[in-house]
Amino acid sequence: MVYLAVIALLCGIACGMAGLDNVLPVEMIVSNKDLILYILMFLVGISIGLNRGIVSKIKEYHIKIFVIPAGIIAGSLAGGIVSGLLTGLPLNQSAATAAGMGWYSLSGVAIGNLAGAQAGSIAFLSNLLREIFSFFSIPWISKNLNYLTCIAPAGATSEDTTLPMMIRYTNGETVVLSVFNGVICSAAVPFLISFCFHFF
Amino acid sequence: MNVIIIMCAGILVGKFLFPAKWKRVNEFLQTVCTLLLIFSMGVLLGSRENFLREITTLGFQSVLFFLIPSVFSVIVVYPLTRIFLDKKREKKKEAD
Repeated sequence: MVYLAVIALLCGIACGMAGLDNVLPVEMIVSNKDLILYILMFLVGISIGLNRGIVSKIKEYHIKIFVIPAGIIAGSLAGGIVSGLLTGLPLNQSAATAAGMGWYSLSGVAIGNLAGAQAGSIAFLSNLLREIFSFFSIPWISKNLNYLTCIAPAGATSEDTTLPMMIRYTNGETVVLSVFNGVICSAAVPFLISFCFHFF
Repeated sequence: MNVIIIMCAGILVGKFLFPAKWKRVNEFLQTVCTLLLIFSMGVLLGSRENFLREITTLGFQSVLFFLIPSVFSVIVVYPLTRIFLDKKREKKKEAD
């Protein structure tokens, strides 16, 4: 799967750079990517539905269910600050960029509006790279750390695009926690970007 | 929000209507959809007007800004899952 994902990504970049994004099959895929995502989510839902007893397992976590999103937010912001110190970028911009947590479309636009086009480009690229990185890190993390930690690099994308990798490399329980985490992180992203930019 | 509603519909279909013997077909279709999404991400990236220039000038910063927060998230979340969400460890604790 990882090799296929790398091939798909490289083919996509090559098509984009060669200007083939206006050719019919490529254009159809790109312009219908939301529809593809919806189909994928429906199929993921079926996988969860086929897994019996997940809800009761999730209930056992109670309030501790918030531990993962809290850890991801804290880790991302700390990582953003460290990145800012290393690159010399202002801390507010650095923390805001990391606060995107993989939601590249929103963070690119939001940070672009707040701090200019170059900052927006960095936010877009870094958050897109985070989403891609999480695709490829999930198999390694599931093997070497634990299933739940696979949610960490995915951040706000753990409720949608990175879910199929979760399904493939973790278990049904982690998938449900992943969706929950994605909802919390996605809700927090706009607030965090604004908060970090104005208060750091 | 749409994503969540659609997924919930999928859960109901999976629970009440979907035959378990078609599980593999479902998994295959998921793989196809995932690859198409990754492909479209690549197209999005490659078709940016100044992609190569951005990658060379902003690439290093972008890499730092995705890698360090991602790694830090893992570093923070891993011990938290071990302490708070490790069911085996909790059961052992209760048994003791």
